[in-house]
Amino acid sequence: MSREISTELERDPVYIVRTPAFDGPIELLLTLAQRAEVDLKAIPLATLTDDYLKAIAQDRPPLERLAAFLVIGARLVQLKAAGLMPEVTVGEEEELQAWEDAIKGRLEEYKRFKQLAESLMRRHASGRFTFAGLLEPEVVPQARVQVSLEALATAFQQVLDRLPPAQQVTVEMEHVSLADKLEELRTMLSRQPQMNFTAIFRHARTRLEAVVTFLALLELIRIGQARVAQSSTFAEITVFGQEQET
Amino acid sequence: MIGVRDTAGLAAALEAVLFTLNRPVTVLELQEILQSPLPDVEAAAIALGAGLAGRGLFLQRHQDQLQLVTDPAQADVVRRVLRPEYPSRLSPAAYETLAIIAYRQPLTRARIEEIRGVNCEAVLESLEEKGLIEETGRLDAPGTPRLFGTTMKFLQILGLSSLDELPPLPQSGSTST
Repeated sequence: MSREISTELERDPVYIVRTPAFDGPIELLLTLAQRAEVDLKAIPLATLTDDYLKAIAQDRPPLERLAAFLVIGARLVQLKAAGLMPEVTVGEEEELQAWEDAIKGRLEEYKRFKQLAESLMRRHASGRFTFAGLLEPEVVPQARVQVSLEALATAFQQVLDRLPPAQQVTVEMEHVSLADKLEELRTMLSRQPQMNFTAIFRHARTRLEAVVTFLALLELIRIGQARVAQSSTFAEITVFGQEQET
Repeated sequence: MIGVRDTAGLAAALEAVLFTLNRPVTVLELQEILQSPLPDVEAAAIALGAGLAGRGLFLQRHQDQLQLVTDPAQADVVRRVLRPEYPSRLSPAAYETLAIIAYRQPLTRARIEEIRGVNCEAVLESLEEKGLIEETGRLDAPGTPRLFGTTMKFLQILGLSSLDELPPLPQSGSTST
């Protein structure tokens, strides 16, 4: 389609480009760039645009001419950007088409989710919630016995497994102090006296941080400010804070 | 393989266990508690869900977790006795993000942002805080980004028995507009 525009306007060029690498109508530049006969990398499009803006500030061309420049300019930017991407040889209509299709596909995908979001909202607004029974019963479930050391170690290993391996994170020296982690854990548990074991490590970005967090947890257990329990062999380990005093 | 009567018996046992535990219980745990193999536990769950139709209780299943809750049709009467801290209204951005996660889980923040075209850090944080989504694992890629999925609570605020009950994803077949 832009090819049509360029031939049509060739008689009366939209703009004459004057750069060391190319001198001539911008339509011709586009045609040559599409055929890969001119290297867009050698043509500073920003300077070209600045020059054009200066030119139109003086003789104000009609709207169609401005639009034609925009269309051609946009294609040039698109071609140049595609050319700068590694290992992509663009210049062919089909590839640009594929690129356009990908963008269109993404917009359509977004539209679909927008529709779904509205149906979720209506459903939520209907208030047809489901409820679990009342809070934790007073009776301590039978299975909620002490967690074995192995179970705790396994759970911690699972946390570690999800964090990047040590050699990947030694970019800068970290300082994670046990005192800080102890304080952080105490605050967490005072706000939420019952937490999942993995939630304790939610903010740990590195293995070192996870290890110090784990040490802090062991310390809290040792001094009786926290305890861990598990309702069954495969259940998530729960960390309980100390009962609030005062 | 066990007979029909045994499935009914196991469904009753399952009902009793879910009632007393009063929390999401994984099928893995249930195998151990009920001392039955997985296919039998699954069959019992289906039988229990069907048996509860039209009753005040409701069986919810999120991924491999089961929970006994009240029927969505009884929400109003339950609200007279409970004042649950459920989020009553979310932002449009939150519903969009929830929809994407619900249908595409597990997925990373980058993937969500690719679909929505905007930064989603704040909205994800808020949804996680509300307990509607959670980290389900890490992607095995540079930086091991977090993977997000929905939670049991997500089903609860929508009154769904499982994720399968979500409306179907609209067709992408309708091409150019």
